[in-house]
This record gives sequence, C-alpha cells and structure tokens, in this order.
Amino acid sequence: MAAVKQTVEHVASLEKYKHGFVTDIEQDFAPKGLNADIVRFISAKKDEPQWMLDWRLDAFERWLAMDEPDWAKVSFPKIDYQDSYYYAAPKTKTGPLSLDEVDPDILETYKKLGIPLREQEVLAGVVGSPKYAVDAVFDSVSVVTTFKKELAQVGVIFCSMSEAIREHPELVKRYLGTVVPVSDNYFACLNAAVFSDGSFVYVPPGVRCPMELSTYFRINAENSGQFERTLIIADKGAYVSYLEGCTAPMRDENQLHAAVVELIVLDDAEIKYSTVQNWYPGDPVTGKGGIYNFVTKRADCRGDRSKVSWTQVETGSSITWKYPSCILRGNESSGEFYSIAITNGRQQADTGTKMIHLGTNTRSRIISKGISAGRSSNTYRGLVSAHPKAKGARNFTQCDSLLIGKHCAAHTVPYIEARNGQAKFEHEATTTRLSDDQLFYAMQRGLSQEEAVQLLVNGFVKEVLQELPMEFAVEAQKLVAISLEGSVG
Amino acid sequence: MSVAAAIKSRDAATLPGKRDEDWRWTDLRGLIRAVPEPSAPVTGDLGAGPFDALADEVIVVGNGVGAAHIDVLPGQTLAVALRIVSRGDGAHAARVSVSVEAGGSLILFESYEGEGAYLSQTGLIFNVGGGATVERIVLAADSADGVTVSQAEIDLAPNAAYAQTTLTSGARRQRLQTTVNHPGGHAALRLDGVYLLADKRHADLTTVVTHGGVDGVTTQLTKGVVRDQARGVFQGKIIVAEGADQTDARMGHHALVLSDRAEVDAKPELEIYADDVACAHGNTVGALDGDALFYARQRGIPELEARAMLTEAFIGQVVDRMEHEGARHVIRAWATERLRG
Repeated sequence: MAAVKQTVEHVASLEKYKHGFVTDIEQDFAPKGLNADIVRFISAKKDEPQWMLDWRLDAFERWLAMDEPDWAKVSFPKIDYQDSYYYAAPKTKTGPLSLDEVDPDILETYKKLGIPLREQEVLAGVVGSPKYAVDAVFDSVSVVTTFKKELAQVGVIFCSMSEAIREHPELVKRYLGTVVPVSDNYFACLNAAVFSDGSFVYVPPGVRCPMELSTYFRINAENSGQFERTLIIADKGAYVSYLEGCTAPMRDENQLHAAVVELIVLDDAEIKYSTVQNWYPGDPVTGKGGIYNFVTKRADCRGDRSKVSWTQVETGSSITWKYPSCILRGNESSGEFYSIAITNGRQQADTGTKMIHLGTNTRSRIISKGISAGRSSNTYRGLVSAHPKAKGARNFTQCDSLLIGKHCAAHTVPYIEARNGQAKFEHEATTTRLSDDQLFYAMQRGLSQEEAVQLLVNGFVKEVLQELPMEFAVEAQKLVAISLEGSVG
Repeated sequence: MSVAAAIKSRDAATLPGKRDEDWRWTDLRGLIRAVPEPSAPVTGDLGAGPFDALADEVIVVGNGVGAAHIDVLPGQTLAVALRIVSRGDGAHAARVSVSVEAGGSLILFESYEGEGAYLSQTGLIFNVGGGATVERIVLAADSADGVTVSQAEIDLAPNAAYAQTTLTSGARRQRLQTTVNHPGGHAALRLDGVYLLADKRHADLTTVVTHGGVDGVTTQLTKGVVRDQARGVFQGKIIVAEGADQTDARMGHHALVLSDRAEVDAKPELEIYADDVACAHGNTVGALDGDALFYARQRGIPELEARAMLTEAFIGQVVDRMEHEGARHVIRAWATERLRG
C-alpha cells in the first residue's frame, strides 16, 4: 500500500500540471517557416556532410507532394507549417564534456522535472548505485551525454544523431531510413527533412548493454516543433533496454512534435523500448495549448529469433497519433506491445500498434489499456497481419477500455488480416466503466472516492505497468493518478 | 459512393474501392472496369426457391424487377420467401421495403439466386414497429462470376425484436451489409452470419449497429470457413451514442482457414460515447484444432470425415441460434453440402 499512499500524497500536492514552467535560455532560431533554405540552414548548422543534406532535401521535395493524413479519429485546426520554427538550439559552450559545463538553467530544469541523471551519486562514487546512461535532449540538441566511456568499453555506441552522422557515417548510411522510409507517411517525411537531433544506439554482436539507456525530451522553445530522430541497432545476439520519457512546459500555442524512431534487430537480438509520455495536454476545459504528438515508431525484426518489446504510457499531449509497430521478418521473431493510454479533459488519442508477420513461427502479443475521462476521446487502432509465408504465426491481442464520465469516448478499431492457413490470431476487447460495486466496496473500506478510483485504475493497468523497468514503473503509476485527477465526482 | 447510383449512371469510376475505408477489402472499382449493360428481364422457369415450402407467400424479384413491398399489419403473422434472382451478364438494382407494424410478426426467407456474370445491387429498408418481431434468414447462393451487393437498413422501434442470420457461399465479389438503428428501449437485436467459401470466392459480411437510446441489447456471432483461394471479410461496427447507457453489446467473429492460400480479414469495431455500457468483441482466426482432429482419428474416424464433423460443429453454433426450425433444416443441408461436397 506504500505506493498507493505515495500516489495519493503526490496527487494532493499537485494543483495543476506540475511541469508547466518555462526555462528562459537564449535560443538560436532558424527563421520561421519551412522551405529548402531552412532545410539547408539546419543541415549547415549541424555541420552535416553533403550526403545527409541531399537526403534531407530529397525528403523535403517528397513532403511537398504529400497530403496530411486525416483518417485518425482526432480533430484539430489545420496546422500552418509555415508558422513554426524548425530549429532551436540552446546556446552552449562548445562541446560540454561534463555536467559542470552545462548551463545551470538547464540543470535546474532537469531538477524540477526530477530527471534521474544520477550524476551526483556516480560522481560521489556511490557503490552499487544504478547505472543509467542519459542522452538528454534539451529542445533539439543533445547537450550532455554521460557514461560514454563505460559504454565504449563494451563497444556500445550511444550518442546524439548528429554526432553519429559525423563519427559513424557508415552505420547511419546503412540503417537510417531503412525501417521508416523517407516517404512512409506525411509526418515521417517532414521529420526526415527537418529532424534536429535524437539518439543513436549501436550494440555490437553478442553484447548485453550493461545499463539501461534513456533519453529525456523536453519541448522548451515557444513555437518550435521538435523533430527527433532515433535509430537503435541491436546486432546479432545483442540486448538493449531503452527508456524514453518526456515532459513539456505549459503554453498557449499548439506545438508540433513529429518524431521518428527506428529499431533494427538482427539475429537473436532483443530491444526493449519503454516510453512514458507526459506532455502538456492542453487546457482541460478548452483544450487549448497542448502538444500535437504525431510519431512514427517502427521496429524491424530482421534477424531470426529477434525480439522487440514496446511499452508505452501515454498520458499527455492534446493529440496523439502513434502506432509503434513490429515487422516480424526473421523466422521465430517476436514482437510485444504493452500500452496504457489515458485521456482526460479535451485530449484526443489515436494509438495502437501494427504486427506484421512475414517470417515463419513469428509471435506477437498486444495488451492495450485505454482510459478516457472528461470530454476526451481515446482510440485503439491496430493491425495484425500474416503474410502467406508466415506459417505458424501467432498473435494474441487484448484491448480493454475504461470510461470515466458521461462525455468521454472510447473506440476500438482492430484490423486482422490472415493470409495463410497456419496462422492463429486471437483478439478480444471490452469496454466498460468503473464498476460501481468495486468503487462502493473500496469506499466502504474507508477510501475516498478519488483514492478508490486510483486503486481500481491501477489494477486495470497493472499488466502493462509490470512490463516497465522499475524506475519508470513508479513514475508511471504516479502519472496515471495525476492524469485522472478530478475526473470523478 | 453508392453502388446503386453507379449502376444507374453506368459510371464505374464512382463504384466504391479499396481507397474507401469501408470497402478496403471489397474492392469493386478495381474489379469492374465498365458497368455492364442493364439486364434484360428474366424469362423462363426459375424453378423452386430454397424456402418456398416454408413460406405463406413467395415474392420474386428478377433482375431488379418485381413486387417490392412487404407489409405486416398489427398482430398479423406472416412467413414470406423473397427470391432475388439474377440471370445473365447485365447490371441491375432492386429496392425492397418491409414494414412490420406494432405487434406484427414476420419471418422473411431471403434468397439470392444467381447464374451468370452479373452486377447486382439490392437495397432493403425495414421498419419494425414497437413489440413487433422479425426473423430474417438470408441465404446467398450467387454464381462464381457474379458481383452482388446487398444493403439493408433496419429501423427498430423500442421493444421490437429483430433477429437475422446471413449465410453465404460467396461470389466473385460479394458484400452483404446490414445497418441497424437501435433505439434501445428494450429492443433486442441479433445479427448472425456464416460464410463457407471455396475456390476463388469472396464474401464480405458488414454490419453497423448504432445504439441511440438507453437499454438496448445486441448480440452478434459470425463464423466462417475458407478454403482454396477464397477470401472472407467481416466488418462489424457497434456505435453507442452519448446517453445510450445500459447498452449491452457483444460481438464475436471466428474463422477457420483451411488452406494456405485462403484469406480472412476482420475488423470488429467499437465506437463508444457512453460510459455505463458493457461492450465486448472477440475475434479468432486459425486452423482446425489439431488435438481434436487427432482424437477423432484415433477413435477410428477417417480424416476427411473428422474434418467435416469438426467444421460442421463449428458452424452449428450459429445455425442453432436460428429460431425457425424448418429453416434450420434447410440451412444444415446447405452447410453439409458445402462442407462435404
């Protein structure tokens, strides 16, 4: 019960969105708007080689010819892509080598966010302290990367995307855009043209990454879209667990976030990718000011017996459009998707996954828990498909929705395509509200209504929380509680 | 776009195709380059329909021509066989309206009987009054070259009971669609389906149920068996509007894929705007249970016989839910012929 008590206390201490503050740091902006010159500006700003610039310009050309997709169950005013900044970098001294050199304001921001940089412990030489490698993304440029040395000892490359382009062009050239092609979709294409930075991870054959890698995002500059590009490669027999967490300050203008995450998993390798997303969801009454989160995440299980596990806790953003997918190409490869999506106020989420079975004896598992409250709308949209050659493909899908309140909406839109006789697909979905009986029971035992709701909701999402790494699980449980604040009674 | 309008205007470009979300798995635009000439009236002896012996009255609609109204008066009980007959290679559309007034009772045996490479569309409108009961049994026996679209719109009044079982062996391309306006108010709805597909046949069972009011019940069970290069499609959508509390809606779709080149596509959808509801759907796709097959064979039953038995039992669950006993016999014979033939 300690965790519950802690959650309750935490909620009580909060009045509004906790992370709604803005750190004022001099920004280095690209001019407003988007054209080929801006793309050149971004590329030049980052000292990129010609091949990278060509790649961006090609993407930009294609993007111009594409239309914004409108099939998701979300509605928002049309985005004016010319009314936004596409590059914003905090002015830093050249090449910060340690945290001491990092702008104290930035560190202060991290402190307010409670980011477990774990620097103090490690610097003080605390024995047995958990080791986390954090590639902290402040706005668009990675300002500090720690634990590089320890990782380098085992051959793991963990750096910012721009650094990878400079230092490891052969790996970037070989893998970038091979999972999410440049013109895959409108937002991925935009990202390819203007991506600012992101993380790059390469785990060499047979190496089990000695620590969990994590990146913290934070959208900070007013009106600057953030375009992360993440590329993770697990070579044969490698293993890596990657954590992604985000918070953003409160503001009035809608902010566009169009990230691309590509995972490549070779023979016998495994990637575990966990996300806690806590961006500003907009004003609870008017829905104004929240983040637009249009993300393309895809894993390619290229090798035999490879494995990918996506775990996500989506509580923020005013609009979420996100489908972390697995292409199960290698024989006996497997994909997992565990998701908690919570919408409150005026939030709209259209999220789910795609499991594309191409190899023989491939397996996938989808557990999705959606919770809608307030006047929000929450959609699960998923695809499970088996190619004619995917003999013995196996999928289990469970998507449950919980409704809290009279004006919210929950939708389930699964697509199942079985194209051979040896695939076995099971899907089940339920939609209910919080049980009155259970609420009554919990309250009759002395819990307040809010506490009872939290208890039941935590039970509802438990299956997914269990999949998160320990550090994240605690944070996520708190987030679940905060997100549903004031939704009952 | 409406299929009826495309047939009338003979503009193939206005047919629905895979770019239309609701038709993504039943692509007509990509299949039909040019809408065929309008069909000539059907001549000659059509023979007996599958349900003639069970009905008080038989109505024939041949190539879009024929009587198109069925009225059931308050308190009246009626069993009607409606035969939608297609002959030749032309295109035709028909409209049928059915009205069952308060307290009336209708058993409708609807059969699609086709020969040739036709393009046929049938639009049906049902008005079911308060306390009225309807059982609609649809048996679609189209030709392997035919393209058929049947679209029924059903308006229920509170306290009405409507039960439907759609059975099909597919066509070159076939869509059997049912849209129901469910008012709640203790109206009860059952929408079942069976598809048994072989060769290169295609069948699409699509349903959309909108719960508009408090206290409505919907149950749905669709089962399918596909073999050879056949393709079965199931799209079921349940919408619960804001305020339609105490809705209880359950949907199941289960399919057996009996060959490596057959395909099943399913989209069981829930769209819920009310919180005090119990909605669920289940969907499974797979091969026959190897253990059950092994057990049967080990008891001395030849493999083919064992497969047929298991498949019949699989389908039997839907057939058993039909209320009309005579219709159950007709359907069992139809299924046996398809599964053992």
